[in-house]
Amino acid sequence: MDMLIARNLSVSAALAERPVNVIENLDFSLAPGRILGLVGESGAGKSMIGRTVAQLLPPLFSVSQGELLFDGQNLVTMPADARRELLGRDIAFVPQEPMSGLNPVLTIGQQIDEHLARLQVGNRRTRHDRAVAMLDAVHLPRPAELLSKYPHQLSGGMCQRVLIAMAFASRPKLLVADEPTTALDVTIQARIVQLIAEMQRIDGTSVLFITHDLRLAAQICDEILVLYAGRVAEYGPAREVFARPRHPYTRCLQLSNPVMSGANRGLYTLPERMPGLQALSEMTGCAFASRCPVVREDCTTTPPPLVSLAPAHRAACRHSEATPGIVAPQPPVETAPSAAAPLLSVSNLGKTFRVGRGFFQHEDVAAVKSVNFDLNDNEFIGIVGESGSGKSTVARMLCGLETPTSGTIAVSGRDVTQGDTAARRHLRSYVQMVFQDPQSALNPRRRVGSIVTQSLEATGTGNHAARLARAQALIAEIGLPPEAAFRFPPQLSGGQRQRVNIARALCAEPRILIADEIVSGLDVSVQAQLLNLLLRLRRERGFAMLLISHDLSVVRYLCDRVLVMYRGEVVESGVTADVFDNPQHSYTKTLLAAVPPDDPATIWRPKTDSADGTLPVEDPA
Amino acid sequence: MFATLLTLIGRRLLLSILILLLVSVLLFIVLRALPFDPAAMSLPPNATLAEIEAKRLEMGLNLPLPQQYLIWLSHVLHGDFGSSIQFRRGVLGLVTSTLPATIELAVLAMLIASALGLAGGLTLFHVRGTAKEPIMDLGTVVLLSLPEFLWALFLILVVGVALHWLPFTGRIDPNMRLPVTTGFLLIDSWIAGRPDIFKSAVEHLILPSLALGIAFSPAIMRVLRSSLIDVYQEDYIHLARLRGLGEKRILLRHALKNAALPTLSLMGVQFGFLFGGTLLVEVIFSYPGLGNLMVDAVRNADLPIIQAVGLTYCIVVLSINTVVDSLYLILNPKLRLR
Repeated sequence: MDMLIARNLSVSAALAERPVNVIENLDFSLAPGRILGLVGESGAGKSMIGRTVAQLLPPLFSVSQGELLFDGQNLVTMPADARRELLGRDIAFVPQEPMSGLNPVLTIGQQIDEHLARLQVGNRRTRHDRAVAMLDAVHLPRPAELLSKYPHQLSGGMCQRVLIAMAFASRPKLLVADEPTTALDVTIQARIVQLIAEMQRIDGTSVLFITHDLRLAAQICDEILVLYAGRVAEYGPAREVFARPRHPYTRCLQLSNPVMSGANRGLYTLPERMPGLQALSEMTGCAFASRCPVVREDCTTTPPPLVSLAPAHRAACRHSEATPGIVAPQPPVETAPSAAAPLLSVSNLGKTFRVGRGFFQHEDVAAVKSVNFDLNDNEFIGIVGESGSGKSTVARMLCGLETPTSGTIAVSGRDVTQGDTAARRHLRSYVQMVFQDPQSALNPRRRVGSIVTQSLEATGTGNHAARLARAQALIAEIGLPPEAAFRFPPQLSGGQRQRVNIARALCAEPRILIADEIVSGLDVSVQAQLLNLLLRLRRERGFAMLLISHDLSVVRYLCDRVLVMYRGEVVESGVTADVFDNPQHSYTKTLLAAVPPDDPATIWRPKTDSADGTLPVEDPA
Repeated sequence: MFATLLTLIGRRLLLSILILLLVSVLLFIVLRALPFDPAAMSLPPNATLAEIEAKRLEMGLNLPLPQQYLIWLSHVLHGDFGSSIQFRRGVLGLVTSTLPATIELAVLAMLIASALGLAGGLTLFHVRGTAKEPIMDLGTVVLLSLPEFLWALFLILVVGVALHWLPFTGRIDPNMRLPVTTGFLLIDSWIAGRPDIFKSAVEHLILPSLALGIAFSPAIMRVLRSSLIDVYQEDYIHLARLRGLGEKRILLRHALKNAALPTLSLMGVQFGFLFGGTLLVEVIFSYPGLGNLMVDAVRNADLPIIQAVGLTYCIVVLSINTVVDSLYLILNPKLRLR
């Protein structure tokens, strides 16, 4: 019998005048020992399904019809106490943010012990031994010592291992993993996914794997369910769905993701975004119709049926035969970077931080050691590496936010390393920064129009009318409607805010943009829009960019050259295609191997780095 | 942890010395700038001008102000705070004999404020989102807007005058006598083996400390409530639920300790004010503590006492802050371990 079955399940929100279904008519079944991937962009309702399993829905949300059967029992109608008995025992969860999933004021040992005590595992002594064994099973080093540590003393990957150990402590029948690797570095992501798969195999656990990453889902899941606006778009065997997507949305999602092998192709850009609650309540036809490239007239009248296409492969589309016809646009035209004098020249750049506050207790930590590179006009260079590799510190030094402890930075031939006023002014006239988190980078109480022209304000250029005109021009250039100038940042979506962020940087007419993780945390379709925007802006205006990113596929798509950083040093650099297709340094190879391959038929073999086959463990942060 | 704690206390001690010096300078300047003549005041009213002038020279009042300050400071450092003009007694003795009374009052008031704050904060948190919330909310706003002296008068009227339940003047029954050992009545009566005196002292303490405690509890309630609401947004609370833990356990073991941190920093500030609030309450309850000594001194322009009591208040507030910060350090592993 199947472990988890959803039958005609709908979850509705009583937010608008009438209830809106945020999950509608969901049907799926998960067999024992199998992995079902729930794939979709933010707002697709995939996390809502996880919460429905636990029946911990946000206020005003409730199951309006259908049933959700766990091991034959309906979770929806079950008494709360009985359901709570199941949680943490038969149904376990692994969260998205491992660092915040553990209580900061309790030790790891206290938290594991509490869980084991609830599972009625013996006395304190046996629980302690059991905890050590659990941590050992998830390949954490020196588990006995770890028990007395607090969560902030561990890295994100280690915290996630602790949480996975706790989740598997009861040999659960069902594991719900909600984006368990999104907050982690790419190499650690691979190890954590492998760990979940390993534990799952040992215990024969069924897994509901929630992710936004179709490529990852295709690798590790048996089946995939693609969600769009709370509706099933496509449901079928993982490799089949990935290799032959039948729903236009799945296809578009796939095409908007940059590839990691073969020739670069253009990124498909889906217009606008997923319908919100208001739009959903007024909708009559297919939820995807407004963005669908192969939309027909009958799509907007009635909701599409779930059509069976192949054994166990279904798509909610009347015209699924048109899906293969959706193709990616032409790859971007290469703009040859001018190889004249370099615009930015960095030599032997280093930064040492003093850690610890005491007079005798501090130690010096080299965050960046001797980095060298030149950036030419119109050239995009990517810096890749894991957190702690020093890539953001390089970016901050180039913007003048940190002072280098060694080496020089020359902008257009002029040394700006020593940050005196004249050098700073010179630097600012050339370099602008785009920050990572558009939410906190934009003042929520200023209108977009005044945010994008901040640099004019700083230099005292132009009057109000002139600035507004300039703002309008910039807003049009980055592809937002004119009325956006009068909006406040919280009224915009994440992607729109990042556009505003870019417009603000462009206002000062910089020759160089420093962009630190500007697409991380954004949906694939929004990411594709932004990447294409940057390429168009380069064609139109011409500027160079240094892109700091942990996402190798983004760098592969966008950048002419790439620097691979590891522990403060550049271990490999060169033309992007060369480095990615033929990596030389073992670290580059590890990084590349950690990315799930484009072709699900290729077996994904993330490097394990150690001889005995056990997984290497990341350093504590 | 011990090392970090010692570092904190050591750093605080150094800082406190600087602050105390600054406060003493300010006090000195302000008191000297007032149109009082300490020399004339310390002599009988029929003294001649010549006698006053002689006294001035004796007291060093003709010297420049900085020099006067340094002389005063060196005396203070040797434990000599001068003698009171009105009582003709050493100021240090006066302060040390009244300070224990005020500390007893303040500590009890802090305990009451903390207990009420905890209970009220939990209740407010418990009723969030229900029909009771706006009523309870209004209640705390009313509590918050009533100062301690109004509570004092109200308690005297209701509990003392109307109901005759508890005494409301002094520190102890006037017929009772007790040898002074520590100055703390609650301790001394215990040492002397006099439960009747202990009982009387407690009865006399209840109303004044209740007035202070009630007045300072609403802010604690509100901060605890909002910190709890913040903590309940955190992933680890959600995950604790997903592990099947009961709500009670989540609140007591996971949420409260985290919510205690912001509440504790507020309490540090609050208790500084609370100690200042003892002054008015002591006057209203004729409670023979530091506050009454200060009010007497101000009324009679008894400058040495004003100086000494001012510094004492400052020392106590600094100590309260250090204690609260140490507690914060103990409760927060992120500060304790780096």
